Amino acid sequence: MHVGGHGDANPNTTWLKSRGLWVSYVLGMLALHLILLSIPLLSIPVAWTVTNLIHNMCHLIFLHSLKGAPWIPQDQGDCRSLTHWEQIDNGTQFTKTRKFLFAAPIVLFLLTCFYTKNETSHFIVNFISLVIVIVPKLPQLHRVRIFGINKY
Amino acid sequence: MGSYWIPTNFHDFLGDIKEASLLHFVLEGFLVAWLLWFIFRKSYKPHHAPTMTKEDEERIISEWNPEPLVGPTPQDHPALKPHVVTGKAGHYLDVDGHRCLNLATHNYLSFVERKSIEERAVQSIRKYGVGSCGPRGFYGTVDVHLELEEKLAKFMEMEEACVYAYGFSTVASAIPAYAKRGDVIFVDEEVNFAIQKGMDGSRSRIFYFKHNDVKDLERLMVEYEAEAKKNPRKAKVTRRFLVIEGVYMNTGNMCPLPALLELARRFKCRTILDESVSFGTVGETGRGVTEHFGVNRDDVDLIVGSMEWALGSIGGFCVGSSFIVEHQRLSGLGYCFSASLPPLLTAAAMASLEEIEQNPTLLTTLHEKCELVHISLAGLSEVGFSITGHVESPVKHLRLVNPPEDIGKHRSLLHEISQYCIKNGVAIIPAAYLDHMEACPRTPSLRITVNVDLTTAEVEEATKLLRQAAATFLSS
Repeated sequence: MHVGGHGDANPNTTWLKSRGLWVSYVLGMLALHLILLSIPLLSIPVAWTVTNLIHNMCHLIFLHSLKGAPWIPQDQGDCRSLTHWEQIDNGTQFTKTRKFLFAAPIVLFLLTCFYTKNETSHFIVNFISLVIVIVPKLPQLHRVRIFGINKY
Repeated sequence: MGSYWIPTNFHDFLGDIKEASLLHFVLEGFLVAWLLWFIFRKSYKPHHAPTMTKEDEERIISEWNPEPLVGPTPQDHPALKPHVVTGKAGHYLDVDGHRCLNLATHNYLSFVERKSIEERAVQSIRKYGVGSCGPRGFYGTVDVHLELEEKLAKFMEMEEACVYAYGFSTVASAIPAYAKRGDVIFVDEEVNFAIQKGMDGSRSRIFYFKHNDVKDLERLMVEYEAEAKKNPRKAKVTRRFLVIEGVYMNTGNMCPLPALLELARRFKCRTILDESVSFGTVGETGRGVTEHFGVNRDDVDLIVGSMEWALGSIGGFCVGSSFIVEHQRLSGLGYCFSASLPPLLTAAAMASLEEIEQNPTLLTTLHEKCELVHISLAGLSEVGFSITGHVESPVKHLRLVNPPEDIGKHRSLLHEISQYCIKNGVAIIPAAYLDHMEACPRTPSLRITVNVDLTTAEVEEATKLLRQAAATFLSS
């Protein structure tokens, strides 16, 4: 697939700040949660923990693991070595999109803690998954590959 | 459900305090504080330029001394006396009022003056008008383009061809369409300027090997392979390219294609072969160096050619497998963003191509003429000219055996010889380079082009004139 005629060399830098994305994101999360909740075998705390884990896994895969872009960007391979998170807003830190995506796992974690009644086993699992998606979002780790993980 | 959405008592809200330690609440409080801090940070761009103080600005502005657009130029500078060519640049041409034998422009098969080709172009104007009015993907594709592409692919016996509107931009767009940042290109140091620009555009890492030196290329590749072994994960995502010319415009030499292809195969390089000069001239039927060496054309990934030299039209083309060529239709910048080749020139190129196909003796004659010119010019070695270039190449370079030490003097001497020849009825010019932009220093030379219509008498006359020029300018 090729980048269309909207003048963006790489749409990955901008599509997350499109209008209505935050609402869609929240609705998507809600839908996921309700689907999990409707499964009879899962109790309410388990449903919340699973929601949190799926959400964080999506962040880890799509924002922090996969590099480049799904289309052919017109940037001579500029984004080949960058994850999607690093491409957002061409690397500018603390933009609204970044703040929203930073807040999402934290808010979800707090909600999960609340609905699992701070049960220790749930807490540990959720907290680890939170750390895994929060650390690569820090501005200090922009373009940094700890221990060379996912370097090339 | 009420107990799910809204906590009914304090115990619900905090969970079992005995089980959940205080640590949970501390961590949660810390997370909320961190989130708030994150949200209220101002945005910034990493690696932004340091801001300048007012004094710095003032200082830089006051220090700025505008240079004149054109500096002082010596009165004898060649650029002040450009050659004026009137009329068609065919077998003969008028330079500054002198009727000259044309050994300067690239018109190897004499298609520039060919009546039948001109007629086809005129017919095309009557049918389509003069321009195509848009890029290929945007209302600029006319049936003749598709027809020419089909013909070229068939002529070269490859799957698909795509036609560009300008010869220079063909290879300059084709290379960056495939080679990207982080990739590696091995390239001959004498490649033409268009290839160099294409490599600039690719942003890849470039390794220059010595002109036509297979050993040197092998050394570079072995060195690179050793480096790649140390970091196999990086090497896995690095594409390797080998870029070569069939016949080098800058030297007239032919590339040792079979050896190069074998190396490319061994080190898993994609090969891009520029046949701008060799297309329509080299090989028994003009199909280029692949035909000359009897190499299987599928071993070369992409062949790039120009329609400006042998075919006497304008534009260029790429041929290869559909998988490779198709990529350029959306990624070749010169293909996407430039108006397509005017139909009249497309028709002319098609007529030229048909002429080559139907008239195989044309190529045999050209080869004879190339050999004739080569032998005659080789005889000039005793008067101070050495010839470089393959016998079968239509481009020859005459270099001075004992050039002046100073490069400026070297160039002006060649310029004087060229002026002398033009005044005496043979158009011979020094090869022109943008020296400050070339990848490697180029040896100044007189570039001689061979035309199929040259007669033995004309070649003898030109050689005699060069002998006289040598006596006048080189004897002292």
